[in-house]
Amino acid sequence: MVKMKNESNLQVTFSKRRSGLFKKASELCTLCGAEIAIVVFSPGRKVFSFGHPNVESVIDRFLNNNPPLPHQHNNMQLSETRRNSIVQDLNNHLTQVLGQLESEKKKYDELKKIREKTKALGNWWEDPVEELTLPQLDGFKGNLENLKKVVTVEASKFFQATVPNFYVGSSSNAAFGIDDGSHLNHDLDLFSQRRMMDINAFNYNQNQIHPNPALPFGNNAFGHINDGFVPNYNINYRPEYIQNQYQNQNQNQSQSQNQNQNLSFKRENISEYEHPHHGYPPHSRSDYY
Amino acid sequence: MTRQKVKMAFIENETARKSTFKKRKKGVLKKAHELGTLCGVPICVIINSAYEQNPEVWPSRETANQVVSQWKTMSVMDKTKKMVNQETFLQQRITKATESWKKFRKENKELEMKNVMFDCLSGKTMVSRIEKTELRDFVYVIEQYLKDVIHRIEILKRNEESSTALVPVAATTTSSVMPVVEMGSSSVGFYDRIRDQIQSTLNMKQTTKDLDLNKKQW
Repeated sequence: MVKMKNESNLQVTFSKRRSGLFKKASELCTLCGAEIAIVVFSPGRKVFSFGHPNVESVIDRFLNNNPPLPHQHNNMQLSETRRNSIVQDLNNHLTQVLGQLESEKKKYDELKKIREKTKALGNWWEDPVEELTLPQLDGFKGNLENLKKVVTVEASKFFQATVPNFYVGSSSNAAFGIDDGSHLNHDLDLFSQRRMMDINAFNYNQNQIHPNPALPFGNNAFGHINDGFVPNYNINYRPEYIQNQYQNQNQNQSQSQNQNQNLSFKRENISEYEHPHHGYPPHSRSDYY
Repeated sequence: MTRQKVKMAFIENETARKSTFKKRKKGVLKKAHELGTLCGVPICVIINSAYEQNPEVWPSRETANQVVSQWKTMSVMDKTKKMVNQETFLQQRITKATESWKKFRKENKELEMKNVMFDCLSGKTMVSRIEKTELRDFVYVIEQYLKDVIHRIEILKRNEESSTALVPVAATTTSSVMPVVEMGSSSVGFYDRIRDQIQSTLNMKQTTKDLDLNKKQW
């Protein structure tokens, strides 16, 4: 083992190995309760040091040949205990973060594998953009733009539908369930959903997507005909008429020409929604489901 | 190398602690030696333990004295700039690890979104199945990818103008092979989509063999 030749490599090596050495020293102290001091000069003449409990005290003891303190005063013991527990907390925290980092890295590898797998199916549009030809790119661009439109529409519907939560101020909207019931699982993130889809791919059943008549805000993404039970709020939605609803709550069920009146009629009917235990209308036809 | 992951905490068992101390002390000194030799730098290690009355000094008292006296000559600023103890060192490691974790998380999110995007395009899934809260990020990812595609188109168009075709023109109807993005439900079943798609790519593969050869490995 000799000194490295390459200057820049040497710098990098010093940096990495110094860090590794300090890590090993730190572990030694934690595991075995030892005291330590390391002093090292860098190729650039800077000085790095690691010490536990601290560099200076260990060095002083070395220089002065002091024997170890046989019995410590209560104060010192207390502060040392406290410091030890701080160190212990930090160690625990570090272990936790390292664990998270590890699983995130594994996820990264798995995601890369999935990409490789789908690549093998021969979808040319999944190749890097640089490898595609002009006609391919043109077609791809069109499809991407379409997709973007679709997603934007979906997103705007969702965020539009959530606004009334804020206005109405009751938790009853939670019972409405702003979703279309076709998710695999609300709580799964995209990654797990996709994995599940991979697994369930050939069990996929079209008919699983069933209408959710409890949507009051006209989320007619699937062209549900909710039989006039729920009005198409998309068109009529304005903050003012929400207030009208409150005002009109005690009105009769009149079929007036005024659209606002119609909405208050619906509002009365859907008072049963105030019960949070289910999101479906209390009296609906059986073929809704 | 190690069979079990050691819990990073004070070892209560005295025998285990003593043997761990011996082994790890040996390891630390070995690493210190490698660092000093490979990089040609002055270094010393001083260890106080319950197992020795006097401090253990490495490499030797003489060398250690030299290093320490040189250390003493340095200004307080220079000394303390790169000085760490357990608390500060662990905190540094935590910060670094957290940043690395965040980077990976972000990268993974983008990869996930890309996968979902490709699945939507190939008909494996539908936009409606995506968790609503993810939609905004999803739009962003699509937009970024779209930017790349448009940029690439511009480059190719510029090349075409400036010289004769540099890129091999794809033989057949490529855009008709790619399933068109539809909204919401589909009367064409999942099976049919995949079957059609695989069929068409098989047809395509025969006619665009030279393209395959140019494909880089990711």
